[in-house]
Amino acid sequence: MSTMLPALSVLFAVVATAVPWGLPADATFILPLVVVMMVFCWRALPGVTLSPLVAMLLGLLTDIMSGGPLGFWALLTLIGASAGGYAKVFGAGREVVTLWLFWACLAAALALFGWLLASVFFLRWVDWWPIGVGAAASVVLFPVVVKGLRWIERGSFGLGARATYRSRA
Amino acid sequence: MRGARSPFRPRPSRWRGPVELLSFTLYFLCAVLLVLSRIGHGLLVNVRDDFVDLSAPLLEAASMPAILGRHALERARSYAGAFAEIDRLKAENEELKQWEWRAKSLENKVEHLRLLLNAVDEPALHYVTGSVIADARGPFLRSALINLGRDNGVRIGYAVINGDGLVGRTVDAGASVARVLLLNDLNSRIPVLVGPAGVRALASGDNSAELRLDFLPDGAKLYPGDEVYTSGSDGVLPRGLHIGVVTGSPGAYKVRPHAELSSLDVVSVLFFDTPTLTTTDPPVLPDPRALSAAPEATRAVAAAPPPTAEQTPAVASAPPPAPEQTHAVASPPPPIVSNEAAPIEAEGTASVEAQTQQ
Repeated sequence: MSTMLPALSVLFAVVATAVPWGLPADATFILPLVVVMMVFCWRALPGVTLSPLVAMLLGLLTDIMSGGPLGFWALLTLIGASAGGYAKVFGAGREVVTLWLFWACLAAALALFGWLLASVFFLRWVDWWPIGVGAAASVVLFPVVVKGLRWIERGSFGLGARATYRSRA
Repeated sequence: MRGARSPFRPRPSRWRGPVELLSFTLYFLCAVLLVLSRIGHGLLVNVRDDFVDLSAPLLEAASMPAILGRHALERARSYAGAFAEIDRLKAENEELKQWEWRAKSLENKVEHLRLLLNAVDEPALHYVTGSVIADARGPFLRSALINLGRDNGVRIGYAVINGDGLVGRTVDAGASVARVLLLNDLNSRIPVLVGPAGVRALASGDNSAELRLDFLPDGAKLYPGDEVYTSGSDGVLPRGLHIGVVTGSPGAYKVRPHAELSSLDVVSVLFFDTPTLTTTDPPVLPDPRALSAAPEATRAVAAAPPPTAEQTPAVASAPPPAPEQTHAVASPPPPIVSNEAAPIEAEGTASVEAQTQQ
């Protein structure tokens, strides 16, 4: 599969995070976490390459689009990429359920870390509720996102199909 | 091929060093960026502004399907309740006719009293109207990107309104886009007056849908439904812009904004140049007028024949406006200003009289 495709798919998601969907205030954490989830999945799935540098740059792009402090989403995306790499080493990427459990733990940790980081950044306790909702929603959405990424990975986009076939041959 | 190595095979252990070093470097870079962002390093701000300026066309194009989808959904909802809405509007129209008569009577009386007092006219407020092209909300902030920038005369600190009331203020301004810090952002602090008594307070955002009312004087009597509007005591926002109504109970008063901050569409930026703004964000061109100075672009429009909606700079790059959006461009939004309906200038540049509720 093309090495550009994972990055492009995440880039598409990053742009989608900036689109005015009219979501309620408590649901604004969901879309950026989907970006982190996609990076995690791409790094965890066997046979897919997405470098941590690209992952960090995509996170940085999310920061720029969101207008928040530079480095916040870059850091969370980098953590997601590192965790995805470890999941691949442990073989968690082969089973969706295992990967789902891995993500559930990671989402909880990321939510806690993100909330603490935000509180430290602003020197006050920020509202934890949107972050918790975002993490829970990302866990629920996980199978859908993995299915979508699998669909892309299988090579339904022309060139990708041939590349996957060659690498397996 | 025997000698060829699969690109997916794990690298030998000797390669782990550089990879770990790269990871450490990236983590360190993120931490540095966070620290620089915290201290508000000028270089980062400039780079971000330039990047957002560059990506504005992409964001605008990407936002179009979402905006059209939202409009279609709203239209479908309004069709579903059309008959009930017609009945409600008929009743409201009857009530408004009586209000119109009272308003005209009061307008004449005020005009007469002003003549008697030889009162000086308040300066007119110019504004431009644009649309929200990106929604930037997360754990840190509630903000929106609009397709108006310094080319349209927008500067940092200007008030941003829509048909319902105050929405926020500009905190970054690039050449063609500006970032609006919404009222409910964690960093938003607006000095306000509450209720008919004009109790002073500070409306603070906390990233939720409603604003907190801080620094209320001891024994202040507020009632749910009291109007909250800007006091202008910060020297940045004009006085009298409607914000919302009081909710909650004593000790935990909140403000529910009139504007639906989670689904903003068309907004207007008020040009209100105060000495405070001139200090924090000096204009590129020296302007002799201190208050309500129309930017060069707007003045150019004002000198020209009455423009069509397409010729108005703020609307030129926006999607075709709905009838209510055209109203927002062609005439000042009536609910924003506390007292009088604002006159429309003959040149086509609308003006809003910022008047107090007192």
